[in-house]
Order: sequence, then C-alpha cells, then structure tokens
Amino acid sequence: MNVKTKQLMNRILLWILILCMAVWMLLPFYWAVNSSLKSENQLQMMPATFAPRDTSTQQVFFYTRNYASVLTNKAFVRGMLNSAMVAVSVTVLALAIGAFAGFALGKLRYRGKTATMYTILAMTMFPQIAVLSGLYAIITGLQLAAIPSLMITYLLFSLPFTAWVLTSFFRELPMEIMQSAQVDGASPFQTFYLILLPLTAPALATTGLLTFIGAWNEYLFALTFTSVEPDARTLPVIIANFPAQFSQQVPFGEIMAAGIIASIPLIVLVFLFQRRIVAGLTAGAVKG
Amino acid sequence: MAKSKASLRNLAKIEHRVAYWFLSPTFVIMLAIAIYPLLSVVYNSFTNNVFASSQPTTFVQFNNYCSLLNLTFKEVPPKVDKATGKPAIDPQTGKTQYQSAVSVLPRQPYRYKQAFQVDVAGKRYVIGATDPEFIRAVWDTMVFAVVTVVLELVFGIIVALIINANFIGRGFMRAIILVPWAIPTAVSSQMWAYMLQPNRTGFFNTLFWHLGLGDGQMPFLSDPAYQLPAMILIDVWKTTPFMALLMLAGLQLIPADIYEAANVDGASAVRQFFQLTLPLLRGTIAVALVFRTLDALRVFDLFQIVLGQARFSMASYTYYQLIQNRAMGYSSASSVVIFVVLSIFAVTYMYTLGISSDEC
Repeated sequence: MNVKTKQLMNRILLWILILCMAVWMLLPFYWAVNSSLKSENQLQMMPATFAPRDTSTQQVFFYTRNYASVLTNKAFVRGMLNSAMVAVSVTVLALAIGAFAGFALGKLRYRGKTATMYTILAMTMFPQIAVLSGLYAIITGLQLAAIPSLMITYLLFSLPFTAWVLTSFFRELPMEIMQSAQVDGASPFQTFYLILLPLTAPALATTGLLTFIGAWNEYLFALTFTSVEPDARTLPVIIANFPAQFSQQVPFGEIMAAGIIASIPLIVLVFLFQRRIVAGLTAGAVKG
Repeated sequence: MAKSKASLRNLAKIEHRVAYWFLSPTFVIMLAIAIYPLLSVVYNSFTNNVFASSQPTTFVQFNNYCSLLNLTFKEVPPKVDKATGKPAIDPQTGKTQYQSAVSVLPRQPYRYKQAFQVDVAGKRYVIGATDPEFIRAVWDTMVFAVVTVVLELVFGIIVALIINANFIGRGFMRAIILVPWAIPTAVSSQMWAYMLQPNRTGFFNTLFWHLGLGDGQMPFLSDPAYQLPAMILIDVWKTTPFMALLMLAGLQLIPADIYEAANVDGASAVRQFFQLTLPLLRGTIAVALVFRTLDALRVFDLFQIVLGQARFSMASYTYYQLIQNRAMGYSSASSVVIFVVLSIFAVTYMYTLGISSDEC
C-alpha cells in the first residue's frame, strides 16, 4: 500500500468517525423533533416511525398542532418569560459583581490574596444541594417571592464562576496600562471602570454567555423554590413536570415541542459563539 | 527619600483598602447565600425540625446521622432441612435456600432493614441499614459517578482527537458537539425518557426490534437492572462534549514539533498516542477527572426527572426528604453528608490545580 492510498484510508476513517459522532450527538434531538411533529395517534403507532407518518396511508405527514398548543399554553409562555427574566438578571448581576472581584484578584496587591483565591475557587464547586434546606428556610422565613429568590440564589454558582474566570482575564492585561492611568491621576475605580473594564469586554461576553446558559438550565433551586408558587416556574421545571391540559395521557408530543422551543435559544448561542463558549468553559477548569 | 518611602507605603495601603472594597460585594453575597445557609443546615441536621408543622423542634444530637448511616453486616444462615440436618437445597434450581434476611437483622436499639444481599464464596450476607434507601442512593451515586466519569474520559479523548484533526467543517462540528451540553438537562432527560419507553413507541425498543434484538418490550426505566445503565447512558451522552473540550484544550497545549520528531523517528500513530499524547495530557486528565467526579456525585436533575422516587441519587433523596416529607432536620443531615463527601474531592481538586498568586 503506498502512502497516498494510506492517507486516503485515514481520511475515510476520519469521516466515518465524524459522521458516527454527529449522529450520536444529535440522536435525541432528532427523535424529539420527529416526535414533536406527530399527533397523539401517530405517537401511539407501533413500531414507532422514523419520520412522522400518517396512521393509515403511511405517507409522511407533519402535525404542527403540538407547537401551536405549546405556544398558546399560558404556563409555558409564562415559564419562558420567567426563565428569560431570571437568566438575564443573574447574568448582569454576576458580571457586575464578579468583575469587581476579578479586578481585585487579578490586578491589585493586598494581604490575604492566596486565601481569597482559594475561597473563590472552593466556591465554584460549592454543591447547591448542601444549602437547599437552609436557603428554603430563609426564603420562606422572609416570605420572598420565588423569582427574586432565584435571581439571588443563582449567584451561588454564577458569581464565583464569573469572578474566577474574569480574574485570569484581568491578570493578563498589561500592568503598564493600569500604571499609566494611575500616573494620569485616575482613581482606582476610574482605572477599573474606564480603562480596564472595556478591555475585558470579550471576556465579559464569554462568561456572560456561560452564566446565562447555566441560569437558563438550572433545575434544583427552581423546582424547590417554586413548589408552592406555580406561576413563578421556569422552563426546565415546566418541561420536567409538564401539565397535561386535555388528555389523561402524558402529552409527549407537546413535551418534545416544548423542549425544542426551550433549547432553540441555546442552540443559536452555541452556533453563534462556539469559539467563545469553548474558551470560557476551559478557562474555568483548566489551568492555562 | 524618607518621604517617598512613606508615600509608597501609603499607596500600598490604599491599594489594600481598594482591593477589600472591590471584593466585599462578592463576599457579602457568598456569606448570605452560602455560608449562613450552610451553618443553618448544619444546625438543623441536629434537630428533628419538620417544615411547616406544629410539632416543637427539639435537639436530637446525632440521631439523624445515625439513622442515615447505621450499617450492619450479617451472614444469612441457610435453611436447615429437618430430615437430614443439612442446609436445605431447592430441588428445582439446586441452589441453597436461605432464611429470611430480616430474621438476622437487629431490631434494637434501631430497626434495620435490608439494603443489599450479596453472595460471596458460597455464603450469603445481608447489609442492613436503618435507612436502606439512603444507603442505596449513596451506593448508586458512587457507581454512577465512577462509571460515567471513566466512560466520559475515554469517549472525551476520542472525540477530542477527532475534532483536533484538520477537516472541512471543523468549527461546525465543534458547535454540534456543544448541543448536548447546552440543552437543559430537564429537556434532555425528557427526550431520553421518551426514547426509552417500555414499548415500541420508544426509539430504542423500536430500533432493537428492527434489528431482531429483544421483544420490543424492554422496560428500560422500570426494571432495576436497566435503571442505572440508562442513567449512565444519558449522562455520558450529555457530558462527553464537556470532557472532550477540556481534553481538546489540553491537546492544543502540546507543541506540534514533538509529533514531527516522532514521525521522523517512524513511530506509529498508536505508539505516538500512548507514549506522547497520553503522558502529556496527564495534568489535564487529573483536573478533569476530579472536576467531573464532583459533578457526577451531586447528580440531581437526571435522577429526579427520569426515575422520580423509583430510585434515588444522594441529591434527589435529599430533595425528596425536604419537599415530600418536609423533614427539614433529616434532609439537612443528608445534605451535610453530601457536603463532606464532596469537600474531600474539592480539596483534592484544588491541590491538583494549585494556585499561583503574586501575593506581596
């Protein structure tokens, strides 16, 4: 076998692997799309069809009422608004507060820095389940509404993460920029706000994206804190406990449609910002 | 000269103060939503607090922990055949018949129930626990964590090697592998639960039936034998991309010229992988392993959504005790147990990672 055929074989093998990988990664998504386009009767067909088909003629037939019914489902639409509200506020809060911490950790010299660094890193791994009953008691004790509670408690995982990732970005900014600002008489806050913060805009975008995705997907706190306040439920809680509106059966077609609608914002983000997300994810976990 | 020294010290002092001001919001928030609740959880774990009940809360010392963690290990004696005085043997299967496990488990001071039965070296043992559900949840979570993390590491490295190769559409491919990671776990759990339906309306039963495997009625989610493998399958699908990205970042840190040197020396691709790539990835792998183990040990969404109360993870058991049973004290104790287990891993992780800071 000469070198050329060997290279060609390698190429073919690579593409087979790529194809297998893509199929495997997208398989549940394909099945969800397929099922979301089936009516109750089509879903009951055995064996299940790999494309939506008419129950009697076996012609391919797309049923779109699931989407219509999900989008007119009040609970679902409210859930979407709740999720958007919570995720956006958490992202803004975490970035604003985390950037302060990141600046101090990445650029300022002070006593006790190593200890604070370790504290922040430990906090990025803080298990939510450990404080679930404590937070629940506080929230019911203060009679806080569920949505503001979620906005505050999501900082538990998003704030240490943003602070940690932004620290490494701040550290990479050249010291001279800061020093020249100080020579020009800028106060520390002005140096931070006017000079350094604009330079970290790409990092802010990256961490913001990840925080948004994390908050959009969060389930444990959302499930617990909205247990007595159904109007405040976020999308994951609604999709996991989808209310059967009309039929006694679990409305799988609608659940799949709802799941796809809830995933679309994330899939769009992933395709638009693939590079940024990858950079941010690995910055949080791998020492560069 | 003395004056400038003093002003330098002054500047340093100002910098300290500024740093503390900039850090204070983060620490105040963490105090309010992490440290204070954690302390209240620890406090509650020593009480019999039941949420929203009229029963007065009293201090119960370590009772909650005892009920959660009490374990006993007993041999189950075989039934004795009255006629021969030898162990009774089932005439149909040829296996030894054993007495009921309940009869050997202690009832005082705590009542033990059976958590597991194991046959070792021709003898049968029973592991009894005062809360067998929690012990099973701990065991299941451990098994889940170990198996998923190992599988994710292996697949993660494979995927990372693929997307590190040069091909048209590589960026697109990297976006595709992010899809499982980005979809909310609540959504992917529902998608998988539907694919694993116990009849031919489900994808897997249909597929296996078309392939002539199984009868098209495999109860993936209700048969205990399939439950954990199903959870592992879903988690591997969901988390391999994350692992792959960590591995990819590690791969990209390896300088390309060492491979050129290996090529010149005529080392095969397989040999290059095991003797160059893998050793050089060691640091990345260590970090990823601990990081993922931490994540896997606190698995909640997947178990709660797909299996509900049929089978628990440590976290979903804690949630169940808090919300369904309103057992604030008991669920707090189980939270503390989880926290301690995870802390051990977290400390290991920080030790592996190390922190370099330019402290003055």
